[in-house]
Amino acid sequence: MEIVIDAHNVSKVYNPETIPVHAVNNVHLHVERGEFTALVGPSGSGKTTLLNLLGGLDRPNEGKIVINGTDITDMKENQLIDFRLNNIGFVFQSFNLIPVLTAKENIEFIMLLQGASKKQRDERVQTLLKEIGLSDKTNTMPSQLSGGQQQRVAVARALASKPQFILADEPTANLDSKSASDLLDIMAKLNKEENMTFIFSTHDSRVIERARRVVTLVDGRITSDTATFQISH
Amino acid sequence: MLLTLAWRNIWRNKVRSLVIICSVAVGLWAGAFIVAVYDGMAKDRIRTVIQEEVSHLQIHHPAFKEDFEPKFVAGDVDSLTAKIVAVPGVKSITARSITRGMMANASNSSGVTVIGIEPASENKTTGLQGRIIAGDFFPEGKRNPILVGNKLAEKLNIKSGNKVVLTFTNTHNNLTSGAFKVVGIYQSINSKLDGTNVYVLRQNLNALLTTPGKAHECAILLNNDDLVDSVKLQLQAIFPDLKVETWRQVSPESDLIATYTTQSAIIMVVIIMIALAFGIVNTMLMAVLERTREIGMLMALGLKKGKLLTMIIFETFLLTLVGAPFGLLVAWATVALTQDGIDISAFADKGLSEYGFSAILYPILSWDSVYQIIVIVVCAALFSAIFPAIKAIRLKPVEAIRQ
Ligand SMILES: Nc1ncnc2c1ncn2[C@@H]1O[C@H](COP(=O)(O)OP(=O)(O)OP(=O)(O)O)[C@@H](O)[C@H]1O
Ligand SMILES: [Mg+2]
Repeated sequence: MEIVIDAHNVSKVYNPETIPVHAVNNVHLHVERGEFTALVGPSGSGKTTLLNLLGGLDRPNEGKIVINGTDITDMKENQLIDFRLNNIGFVFQSFNLIPVLTAKENIEFIMLLQGASKKQRDERVQTLLKEIGLSDKTNTMPSQLSGGQQQRVAVARALASKPQFILADEPTANLDSKSASDLLDIMAKLNKEENMTFIFSTHDSRVIERARRVVTLVDGRITSDTATFQISH
Repeated sequence: MLLTLAWRNIWRNKVRSLVIICSVAVGLWAGAFIVAVYDGMAKDRIRTVIQEEVSHLQIHHPAFKEDFEPKFVAGDVDSLTAKIVAVPGVKSITARSITRGMMANASNSSGVTVIGIEPASENKTTGLQGRIIAGDFFPEGKRNPILVGNKLAEKLNIKSGNKVVLTFTNTHNNLTSGAFKVVGIYQSINSKLDGTNVYVLRQNLNALLTTPGKAHECAILLNNDDLVDSVKLQLQAIFPDLKVETWRQVSPESDLIATYTTQSAIIMVVIIMIALAFGIVNTMLMAVLERTREIGMLMALGLKKGKLLTMIIFETFLLTLVGAPFGLLVAWATVALTQDGIDISAFADKGLSEYGFSAILYPILSWDSVYQIIVIVVCAALFSAIFPAIKAIRLKPVEAIRQ
């Protein structure tokens, strides 16, 4: 199998000079293409910190992170931004979308940054909106979308740039259980049909159930890493 | 796309943006109007200098202006006139005899500049007749007529019809004097000149100075202002021994005042824009701070710093520049509506005429000024954009998102 993420002995310490917080402590993690992995653990266990490190938003104090064969640990800031743009999809917990852009424009935005042509963008946006079941909301502003719909657009946007994998930090935390389950359905479908790799953190046991691999963090350390049995649909 | 984003972003807080846009519009309206008024004053002053006082060019003996010694004549009136008239672009010319002396009536006396003129050509060149406010402009048959300025007339308590005595030295350094009859009182825009210049007939003055047929000064009016430098060169070539000066050289203070008037108006616009810039900086800083999370998110997604910088600069520019055309347009309309002149004599007559300015303002909004104003506005926009843009790119995506 092809390894997309190789985190090697990664540590992140906040406030190393004053009161050091070992948010991520000596983590080894391999993620293969096509995984559908949940990152779980109590509040403050380092889930967000680890996802930020894997996504190149933050730099580890120790260890190295290799994405699809590229070591991003010491990449220059602007290079890293470009790398994120072309290799990593992000879905945040909330306020994901640019409020002044429509659903379509939000998805398109990232492709514009990548320099895709109008034709490419239009086609891809249409496909993605269809996949997330929001074809009728093409020109709707984020403020007119429900929380669940906004998160679905965020997933579509993360997908638009054709990344190596998508990182989602508690994507369902602000959603009711129906919307959460819809979002998971879409993510699972994209995982299955497009072989898109997803890594998401969550507290929600119903979300954890949907994962095929569950990595548990406690105090910044991986305490368990299990492949779960999937009931096929 | 960044432009669209910037445009929509400025409308997220409509009231705040509108306040800024309106302030810029009002500020520029006021600024541009002040510039127009000052410009009008400056142009008017220059017109007065050229058309009533100095004319475009003047010719003198090189030593004449040092002491106004009567022996330093420019030459024979007839030959001077003939040669000058032959130069293309010359509209009219008048030759004068000039000296300095004392004017006295029964009770008072005052230092004066006596200008000996030939009434027809003088009037054609400087329009002196139009400034007569009492009496007549050298009526036929009067012996030794003299025109006195309003200010001097008041000072010496002289009326039209009075007799005055002029005393000065002739070319032989002998004191000589002559009795003149006041035929008219004139008043010009420049009250200083009214207090010193008196006009007599050239042949009368020449007789007293013992300079028959000669002139000390030739004043030349051209067909248009742009010819000044080229005609000056031609005349200098024709009269290598004489001093040919443009109105700027003859009256450098007028040129300076005109330039400074316009410049001080431009400085006012700069001050207005600096004040506005602080408001714009403040608004944009607030806009950046409010959107910390969103900006962090954009950077996380892959918006490079350069593009983020561009976006913030676009926003600032839009905020600054949207109001500018309105302000300029309203200023232009105001100028158009006040083309008949704004009479401020009620407030400022004395003060302005001391400096040779008319009390009626004719605002002129020239393209030159508009360009300058636009440059100032763009600079203000750039200046205002720097801080917020730096603030934005300093944000770290992780920290911004965690907020
Ligand atoms: N910027 C920071 N400065 C200092 N300490 C930090 C910072 N960010 C996070 N931490 C600390 O690092 C630890 C890990 O935080 P992190 O946000 O990664 O946990 P988490 O698992 O995502 O928690 P939650 O489930 O509440 O989101 C916590 O103890 C937190 O207080
Ligand atoms: Mg977290």
